[in-house]
Amino acid sequence: MKRLLLTLALGLIAGIGSHLAYYRFHEPAGTDTLEGQLAWMKTELKLTDRQFARIKELHQASHPKLRAMAAQVAQMQLEFGEFERSRRTTDQVDFLEFARFVEIRRNLNRACLDSTRQLVLASAEVMTPDQRQQYLALVANAEPLVGSLPN
Amino acid sequence: MKDLGRPRCYASGHNFNFCAMKPPPTDPLDPLLDRWSEVPEPPPRLAANVWQRIATGEKSRDPATGWWLSLQDWFARPVFATGFVVACAFLGLFLAELRVSHVQRERSAQLARSYLLLIDPLLNTPPADRKP
Repeated sequence: MKRLLLTLALGLIAGIGSHLAYYRFHEPAGTDTLEGQLAWMKTELKLTDRQFARIKELHQASHPKLRAMAAQVAQMQLEFGEFERSRRTTDQVDFLEFARFVEIRRNLNRACLDSTRQLVLASAEVMTPDQRQQYLALVANAEPLVGSLPN
Repeated sequence: MKDLGRPRCYASGHNFNFCAMKPPPTDPLDPLLDRWSEVPEPPPRLAANVWQRIATGEKSRDPATGWWLSLQDWFARPVFATGFVVACAFLGLFLAELRVSHVQRERSAQLARSYLLLIDPLLNTPPADRKP
């Protein structure tokens, strides 16, 4: 009886110990920084050091601009919400102001798409056809980029 | 003249000194054992009755108890016990590998989403608002 319980306890300890040790050693590191994402891209697309250096350079160059644009887009969404709230509460719309807003947002969207397209195109040019195909599958959600990219 | 002292011992032709040996203390069982002179005859079919009682005892044993006892028998063997512990360790490794794969898939999907958000500022906007 005692021996059976001892063996069961040893088995439990061995199982849990090996599980925790293996998981801790192989646990994938998670990071949402640009460096972390580029490192993930390097692994996922099997980029060479030279390709990785070029792609990193491209992303680092465009990163501040894209972040600023993302902040502007968020600001425009807030402004749009404000327009909508004003229309519902007062039942009035300042059409001149709204037209100005629509124009700014249209220009911003165009600038965002251009920036993203340039970055994806420049990155895809560095890659081999197989890598490019995999990369395009990855950015397929960022339409309408795919249609403008070479195969 | 009567000898009232301790009985004397004599040894003739030998060197044994019986006087050195003390008489054993009397046991209360001795008289009873002395009276047990006749061994009774065993009842007929003694062996058959014994085996029948053993068989009845085994049948009336609880199945769970039997299973537990056989488990104990298996674990009493060192080879089996060692194998069990090693198997537990391998099972832990296997489950850890499954867990790592699962976490890796989730992390990859999360990094892909983060990357798309990074390169496409319009991804957070509703689809209708994305056209320039």
